[in-house]
Amino acid sequence: MMALVTIETVLIALLAILVIGLLRSHAEILSKLHELGAGVGSGDTDPVVNVPAPQRLDRGGRTGASVERLTPVDISGVTVGGDAIAVGVTGSTHRTLLAFLSSGCSTCSGFWKAFRLEGGVLGGSVVPGLGGARLVIVTRDPSEESITALGNLVPSKTVVVMSTKAWSDYAVPASPYFVFVDGPSSSIVGEGTAATWDQVQRLVSLSFADEGGANGATRKTMPGARMQAPGDPPNSLSGPERELRNDMELARAGILPGDPSLYAKDIGEVFPNV
Amino acid sequence: MTRLAAHSIDVELPNGWDGSIYSRNSDPSTVAMPIMHLATFPLPVQRGDFGGGAVELMGSDDVFVSLFEYGPESVSQPLFRGLGMNLPLSPRQFNPSGLQRVIRGQAGYQRFFQEAGRAFCLYVVIGSVFNATRLARQATNALSSVRIGVPA
Repeated sequence: MMALVTIETVLIALLAILVIGLLRSHAEILSKLHELGAGVGSGDTDPVVNVPAPQRLDRGGRTGASVERLTPVDISGVTVGGDAIAVGVTGSTHRTLLAFLSSGCSTCSGFWKAFRLEGGVLGGSVVPGLGGARLVIVTRDPSEESITALGNLVPSKTVVVMSTKAWSDYAVPASPYFVFVDGPSSSIVGEGTAATWDQVQRLVSLSFADEGGANGATRKTMPGARMQAPGDPPNSLSGPERELRNDMELARAGILPGDPSLYAKDIGEVFPNV
Repeated sequence: MTRLAAHSIDVELPNGWDGSIYSRNSDPSTVAMPIMHLATFPLPVQRGDFGGGAVELMGSDDVFVSLFEYGPESVSQPLFRGLGMNLPLSPRQFNPSGLQRVIRGQAGYQRFFQEAGRAFCLYVVIGSVFNATRLARQATNALSSVRIGVPA
């Protein structure tokens, strides 16, 4: 009798552990589904979390109030020290890589670190590794940023402009975000997000190469990186770099994360024979 | 056009120009005086008040402008008795010997003046003396939008 009670107790304990494990697994699945935007419980009225609302964009990648603007604008704001600053982007003789960063985003931390480490190489404004293009970091206004945190992040030799207006003018969806501007033609030749500074440099280099070689920096127009066509020599991009380049191509075509065209309406679109 | 304003100095920058209005004060017991820099080329973060570290980066088609304010005690000095910036700038005003730091090919212009009860030095560098006519016109165009007010 005693043995039966003991066995029953052990079985109940094991079942309890099993049930707790299943409930925990179920909760994690629900949490992941919720993050991906799958409505739980209230159907259509549930907000989509962490996914931008689907937006149809024009080819320039502009959104909202600036949907009509297809050309870049000069930037003005303040420095982290509070001084007034303006950066000429349009009509200049050089190209500019605008890096929209924030002090709080975890992905941005890698860029802040890279820019600090390369401070001596960047030489103030012009980045030799970017074909002579100029690097400018843009954060939001002091009222929307932590000056203390930025004070520990900003590179000593790189221009940093605090300007929420610039984020709006360039329709920056989130940070980090990069916009590559060709000054002589006053046009945006590429934009998108990236995970590492190496990826950004590689893509900018590729866009120079696409235009016609190492002397691309002296050309007046730059159509930007193009997709590799059949027969093109392999460009040896890694997986994440290909993904980033594809994202930039999609962004240039007006397709950003959340665009309805990226999602199938039903299972038949994905598996026509089912 | 991009507007830049600070320390009661206001300027509308032509497209593609860099600009900065800042103050530098290493002695906390004194009042920091503002300095304005305008340039047709990317201004480096670290540079001197009269363009040291920046003018070395200029091309032959570039212009650098420094508007340096002196303390209120300078207004009564003879050096600052001239009124305003005296625009337009003439290409003949630019001279290699007018440079704070002589760089081959460049030419400079300097004027001390007062405006709105404030004492200033205007210092302009052009990338090439051979382009003086065009570059003087560009500098005049940028400087003509400068408005100097009485400090708040």
